[in-house]
Amino acid sequence: MSKFSRKDVGAAALSFPSWAYLVFFFIIPVGLVLWYSFGYKPDLFTAHSNSILSFDRYIEALDPTFLSTFINTLQIAGLGTLICLLIGIPFAYWMAVKVPVKWRGLLVALVLVPFWTNFLVRTLGWQIMLAPEGFVSDALQNLGVIGGPIEILYTRAAVQLGVVYNYLPLMILPLFVSLDRAGASLREASRDLGGNRWRTMFHITLPLAAPGIISGCLLVFIPLMGDYITASVLGGAQGNMVGQLVANQFNSAQNWALGSAMAVMLMVFILLTVAIVGAIYLIIRAILRFNRRVLIEEPAS
Amino acid sequence: MTQNSVISPTVAGGDPTHGTGSVQIRGVVKRYGSSTAVAGIDLDVRSGEFLSLLGPSGCGKTTLLRMIGGFEEPDQGDILLAGSSVVGVPPNKRPINTVFQAYALFPHMTVAENVAYGLRQKRTPKAEVAARVSEALGLVQMSKFANRNPKLLSGGQQQRVALARAIVNRPKVLLLDEPMSALDRKLREEMQLELKQLQRQLGITFIFVTHDQAEAMSMSDRIVVMLDGQIQQVGTAEEIYTNPATSFVAGFIGKQNFIAGTLGADGSVETADGVLLAQAPGTGTVGSQVLAAVRAESIMVHSEKPEGAVNVVGGTVGVVSFLGDVIQYQITTGSGHELLARTAPSNGVLPTAGTPVWFSWQPQHVQVFPNPHPSAGA
Repeated sequence: MSKFSRKDVGAAALSFPSWAYLVFFFIIPVGLVLWYSFGYKPDLFTAHSNSILSFDRYIEALDPTFLSTFINTLQIAGLGTLICLLIGIPFAYWMAVKVPVKWRGLLVALVLVPFWTNFLVRTLGWQIMLAPEGFVSDALQNLGVIGGPIEILYTRAAVQLGVVYNYLPLMILPLFVSLDRAGASLREASRDLGGNRWRTMFHITLPLAAPGIISGCLLVFIPLMGDYITASVLGGAQGNMVGQLVANQFNSAQNWALGSAMAVMLMVFILLTVAIVGAIYLIIRAILRFNRRVLIEEPAS
Repeated sequence: MTQNSVISPTVAGGDPTHGTGSVQIRGVVKRYGSSTAVAGIDLDVRSGEFLSLLGPSGCGKTTLLRMIGGFEEPDQGDILLAGSSVVGVPPNKRPINTVFQAYALFPHMTVAENVAYGLRQKRTPKAEVAARVSEALGLVQMSKFANRNPKLLSGGQQQRVALARAIVNRPKVLLLDEPMSALDRKLREEMQLELKQLQRQLGITFIFVTHDQAEAMSMSDRIVVMLDGQIQQVGTAEEIYTNPATSFVAGFIGKQNFIAGTLGADGSVETADGVLLAQAPGTGTVGSQVLAAVRAESIMVHSEKPEGAVNVVGGTVGVVSFLGDVIQYQITTGSGHELLARTAPSNGVLPTAGTPVWFSWQPQHVQVFPNPHPSAGA
């Protein structure tokens, strides 16, 4: 007897577009990167060879430059995610709760406006804004707000500003959806039962928005960890991000094996970071639940 | 009775209009943009009474309830609780709790945690929280479900939890916003009885919003009938049924037949089907256009013309429906007016559709109201 029923075969056939997409554009590329990472660069003009397999590229990748850049990236990404969250929560709350329903669609569209322009062009725009001889700098100097030209371009602060700008919509949208779904009636019920604004926020609104907060943080943090455009355009030596190192190995150094090993390590580190933050979240939630629980004796049945 | 009891013994005594659970509404107006939801309402809710706000959707009853709860603020007028104004006081500072229409149970908490929420906001000691939650769940017979997720409960069970979550806080006033609209009819009738018993037991003032006149009549000490943001009549179920103040109230409570006509002398009303007699002549002047109202259950159906009776009209039977406790006849009068009659089932043979019949009613069952739309149907 066949292991798969006709129903299973039919389901597999119907879902062909989605699994084929995943296989060709996710599993095979990631598998290739993993495979390349065990290879080496045979000579100056060849990017890659797998004729000898080893873990040497990983040892090579784990040099102090990679690690310090990784720590730097982690700080930029962590802080960037936090800033996006701190800006995103009040903004999404305002959009989902305070704004009349008829304006919400327009606001969502406005949040998405930056995506109408190419990521690189948007980032280059900030280069003009932040330039010491740029119009913003001139205007601020003419107004007497600052004494000399602004010195922010090609610093870590510029990268930080750039990533917050580039990734903020990815935080706002899932937050908006989850806050919108939570509905006004639960907040009213909390107020009715004696909860003030802040307690309603922390006991009802934010716990119900938790799925949105988690997906927003993942949507910002993960691509931000791999981002190299923002750092290349706005950061100098201080704003170096690990994505640039990976890109350099593939592009200028033409060392695909080392680049692949770095990419794999980056993925593993991102997964570890997400797992650690996820564990902290679960622990906090368990503590909150423990605090909230009501012990009542079981009724005699 | 223990210290932890939900049942408060203090409510019963004292002046009912200024007691701890009394609500006074003074000239309250609420507008949304250009439309007026509540157009000047004065109402005294007595401490410990079961009061229903009854009216069609859009009559302002929910807006009035939300203003008492503190979710909306009146544009004009004042709302007093136990004699002091609560206008501007946020909902969390009012000793009032609400059972919401869709229950609004917190989905991330268990049933017991939902019920404990209000007590935790007041930083009640843990042992007392447990005892009071347990007692409140016992009152609504939901003790067995304390650790369940509210999302997995049926509509009726969710409603009981919402009720327990409100009464556990010992509110002075409990607001109920159409809490039964999501329940099926049988469950609704059971819950009506239970709710009334619970209200008697607790002695809390209940203000119950509904559009269902049967629901209001089965539970309320007094009913407030509302239309277009204004009060039409306040009274007990019996007062409203027997002495409706306006043709709207008369039509809203029970099955009512309206016959348009011209008011004559001595309570007579001249209609297309002859002169009808009413015992109470109403307030209209002779010659004014009026509506004579007769309830379906006041109409008697005869197969032959009754001798010596007044208010006799001939007609033809249309649809006859056997409703169990009553038989409903749809009758077309000689002038083409359609009437509904409801009689107790008799052992005789039901008249079939198309049979000519006579029907009559007593003058004391006729009420006369000014015709709000004089040209229509006269």
